[in-house]
Amino acid sequence: MTDHDNADKFAQLAHAFMRGRMGRREFIIKGMQLGLSAAVLTRLTRPSWAAGKLMDSAPEAKYESPVTQERVDFLKTKPYKGTTINVMVLKATVGDGLKYHVPHWEEETGGKINVAEVPIETLHQQIFSDLASGLGKYDAYMTGAWYYGDFFVPKTPYIVEIDKFLGDPKHPYWDPSQFLPAMRRLYEWGGKLYGVLFDADAQTLYYRKDIFDNSDVQAKFKAKYGYDFPNPPKLMKELHDAAEFFTGWDWNGDGTNCYGLALHAKVNEQGFFHFLSLSAPYVISPDNKYYFFNPDKMQPLINSEGHLRALEDYVKLLADGPREEIAWTLGQGWNLFLAGHSAMEPTWGDLPTLAQDPKTSKVQGKIGAAGIPGTTEAFNPISGEWKKYDLNQVGNTNGGSWHCVISRLSKKQEATYDFLAFMANKKNAFFNATNGWTGVQPGMKFEYLPPVGTATLAEFKAQGWNTDDVTEYLKGYYSVVSAPVTEQYLRIPGTAEYWHELDVNVSAVLGGQMKPKDALDATAAAWDKITDRYGRDKQKALYEASFA
Amino acid sequence: MINVLWLRSSLWSRVVVYFLLISAVVFTLLPFLWAAVNSIKTSADTFLPGAVIPFVNFQPTLDSWRGVLEDPQVENAFVSSMVVSLGTTIFGLILGVPAAYALARFRFPIGSNDIALWFLSQRVLPPAVVLVPFYLLLVHLRLIDTWTGLIFCNSTFNLAFAVVIMRDIFRDVSTEIEDAAKVEGARPWQVFWKVSLPLSVDGLVVTSVLIFAFTWNEALFSAALTSQSATTFSALVLASRSTRGVDFNVASVNTLIGVLPPVILYFFVQRYLARGLSFGAVKG
Amino acid sequence: MAAVAVRRREYGAVFKYVLLLPAVIWVIAFTFLPLISVIQYSFANYVLGEGITGYVGFANYENVLTDHRFWHSIMVTAIYVVVTVPVEVVLGFLAAWLVSLGAPGSRGFRTIIGMPLFALEVAIGYLGVTMFSSQGGVVAVVLGLIGIHIPWLSTPAGGISAAIILDIWRWTSFVFLIVLAALGSIPSDLYDAAILDAKNHWQVMWRIGLPLAWPVTTIAILLRIVECLKVFAIPYALTTGGPGASTEVFSATDYLTTIQFFDFGKGSAMGIVFLIMVAVIITVFFRQMRKALD
Repeated sequence: MTDHDNADKFAQLAHAFMRGRMGRREFIIKGMQLGLSAAVLTRLTRPSWAAGKLMDSAPEAKYESPVTQERVDFLKTKPYKGTTINVMVLKATVGDGLKYHVPHWEEETGGKINVAEVPIETLHQQIFSDLASGLGKYDAYMTGAWYYGDFFVPKTPYIVEIDKFLGDPKHPYWDPSQFLPAMRRLYEWGGKLYGVLFDADAQTLYYRKDIFDNSDVQAKFKAKYGYDFPNPPKLMKELHDAAEFFTGWDWNGDGTNCYGLALHAKVNEQGFFHFLSLSAPYVISPDNKYYFFNPDKMQPLINSEGHLRALEDYVKLLADGPREEIAWTLGQGWNLFLAGHSAMEPTWGDLPTLAQDPKTSKVQGKIGAAGIPGTTEAFNPISGEWKKYDLNQVGNTNGGSWHCVISRLSKKQEATYDFLAFMANKKNAFFNATNGWTGVQPGMKFEYLPPVGTATLAEFKAQGWNTDDVTEYLKGYYSVVSAPVTEQYLRIPGTAEYWHELDVNVSAVLGGQMKPKDALDATAAAWDKITDRYGRDKQKALYEASFA
Repeated sequence: MINVLWLRSSLWSRVVVYFLLISAVVFTLLPFLWAAVNSIKTSADTFLPGAVIPFVNFQPTLDSWRGVLEDPQVENAFVSSMVVSLGTTIFGLILGVPAAYALARFRFPIGSNDIALWFLSQRVLPPAVVLVPFYLLLVHLRLIDTWTGLIFCNSTFNLAFAVVIMRDIFRDVSTEIEDAAKVEGARPWQVFWKVSLPLSVDGLVVTSVLIFAFTWNEALFSAALTSQSATTFSALVLASRSTRGVDFNVASVNTLIGVLPPVILYFFVQRYLARGLSFGAVKG
Repeated sequence: MAAVAVRRREYGAVFKYVLLLPAVIWVIAFTFLPLISVIQYSFANYVLGEGITGYVGFANYENVLTDHRFWHSIMVTAIYVVVTVPVEVVLGFLAAWLVSLGAPGSRGFRTIIGMPLFALEVAIGYLGVTMFSSQGGVVAVVLGLIGIHIPWLSTPAGGISAAIILDIWRWTSFVFLIVLAALGSIPSDLYDAAILDAKNHWQVMWRIGLPLAWPVTTIAILLRIVECLKVFAIPYALTTGGPGASTEVFSATDYLTTIQFFDFGKGSAMGIVFLIMVAVIITVFFRQMRKALD
């Protein structure tokens, strides 16, 4: 029984459970038969207090759906009249997404929200200055998933758990069990939930489906490489061959030579996520889940043989795009694909979203999406051995996954939670996921098309999506986020600093200034220094806890 | 304005002068023109080779302009920038000009050169080094996210301009005139206020322009010490970089509107600049 | 007469302090605590969320002084300053001279050439990406017409060069404004005399204009050097220090260390080392300049 079959079976089980056709106990037992751990299953199926007392809508709560009777009664009292909560968000995209919901919540509850929009450059500094100085001006912060570790450094964490609010039916209804498991991890710490649903990032391989399906192109490929055109590439070797194949001729038909693969690899600009996603299948496998450190003594693993081979391969991809892409910011990399000049791009869901805008995109209706290709041989950095696999494909949750957390210093935690839950309510969450300008990607099952979720093509089409594109996008995204073998996000204090060292050294390799081996060795040395600064034992404990 | 040199120049010299001046103007305006072109492009066209002339090479759009001008935060940021820049200029002059006069006219136990140097050394440290300590200081003073807080911070660092430049200006103001005033019975502060200061108006203008320009441009302190109420326009421009990378079209719009208020102010005061300061070189 | 003189001197003694002290006290008050904090952090191990976890003596300084990346950023900054400041001074002086000739239309020239001083550096840096990009950037297009292709943004040399060009554009007007003010004070009769003596414009400028404006120009040079040493916005917005860390100026390195990673220990030590280095440079420079004048 292959992993793929198991995944399908599990999807069926989940579907049945969500639809109420199967009880919780039965679901857990059957899930364990498929090989899943009881702990995971139990967490997935926490009994939901309102599973049965939900209404589709109510006039008092016209921006929420579904809604409980308790909620309706609560809103009648205009409960937060006279309360003002302060929220700090990123300016643009996800910040705009949050701002959209503000007047609606204010109307329903009588409360007031003050939104401070801050540039991404100083968001981290602003959040932690506000907290560490004790000023505590803000009740909630929009945070990137990689800041989490820093919230848990002090003895009492800077942010509060939301479990106590979840059980209260007077708050807007949202169901954390709908989280795709890998995504839910980013909202939790030590098994407890701290974040309320907003964004859910992962990197997927996007490609030009129209070109890939073209039989002339396929024949040309076969003639050159001797095997059938991989539609889409499932192995790294296939990815490299396809990228090379599409570089240097005009398969687009617009008179200019095109490229095989676009990257946005600028340093200090989230470009390093490319490497994290593309190198995962060289190191992560069913036999090994450790990418960053060896939990034994927190020895960095980043310069293992597997990582090295991954970096050497990654550098080869540069030849399949313009030289300047090593200095491209996200928009510039996306532009190449959206203008139709690149056959593939491994990146976030912003790409297919932006592709729907005819002003900036020439590729609407031509998008294909697939998981990041895998390898036939992966290195286990703990045991120090290579092992062969038929196909080792690895999922990821790489990206910011921006969402709000509640400050421990807040004096209005309940009201703050109410607002956050409001945005996580099915109706609003779905709005976020379908409207590209919010910068939000789907993290909950219901946002996907059947059989996984309950969304319909019509709802997406109403927001301007091409139906073929959205089907591909959701299919590809889901496969990455729900993959049985996933690259675990690094969730310890100082994550930004660890990743920055990797970023700078990988960028130096891309710029031809460093050899891959030296770069990774330098990164490992830098990581050791950082670990010592934070306290090796503490980091070790937190690292282990993050895998629980 | 010197006319005699111009009047006595040959035709060839005049041509050369105009050629050089016009080249300078073109060089100066080129980035602004490029910003204007960029501001009406879509993000896809921003990096399209050959997309230079609107309507001819690409379809222009006012989306970026609309986005910026309809953003309420932009209006607030402009007001903040104006208040903070003007406030810093005034406060900096109030503190710095008298100090400069004192350094120019009197002897101190520590040499006046060294004191001027000490003021200048406040400009040496990159803001990043002292950012968080300043944050904590402002928390103590309850001045986080306020115009006053920003004015105080900026003044501290811009005092150097007032002191260093005005000190030399004052050195040049003729002591004979001052002595004459003293003989007439003027007390020292009257000499300062009624004699020396009016004679150095042009220096004050230069200093004011510089302090204003530097404060207008300052982005890092503003981005770190304010979150909402007092965010200046320069900090807002920093936010062109978001989770989606840099929005170059919005940045282009920001380049153009960001330069307007100070340039307008500059236009009104620039006639003072050419009237002349001699900085100790020419005794009149 | 003597009594008046004594009283005047005593009054003057108090008066001069009344003038000077507010500024001095202000600066000390406002920078004292931060400076002490910085020094304190430089001897400590700081962890975000825990604060100072312990004192480590000179370990941070050792770390900084043996850090290849720190020295590289100093070198990049040094190159930056050594190239931009002289060019800006020369171009700024020339422009000021030409404008102060009073040719018809000079008021317009004066306004326009002074404009870049008010352009926001952050915005100019972002604009620079679109100008120097090999994909449709105006610089790349124009150079391409004569067959030159320079990889501005993907190489360290190209990146620093692009940043330098933008910096020259932005800051020449600073020198221009200051020198313009100085030249405006030169009285006409001096020029009349000069013309009898000199053969052409060049000589007038070289023999009369330059010496008379030199004191001013030295101030402009000094101020430019101090500002340029801590340059941040233009190069960082252009290349964010890349590829790798090859175009990181010192301010960027310190910014990342202190603001992004909250490693106050190392960031503060870096700042102190930098402060000492620059203090030496400007003290030497200042004294030399003053000696030449007095």
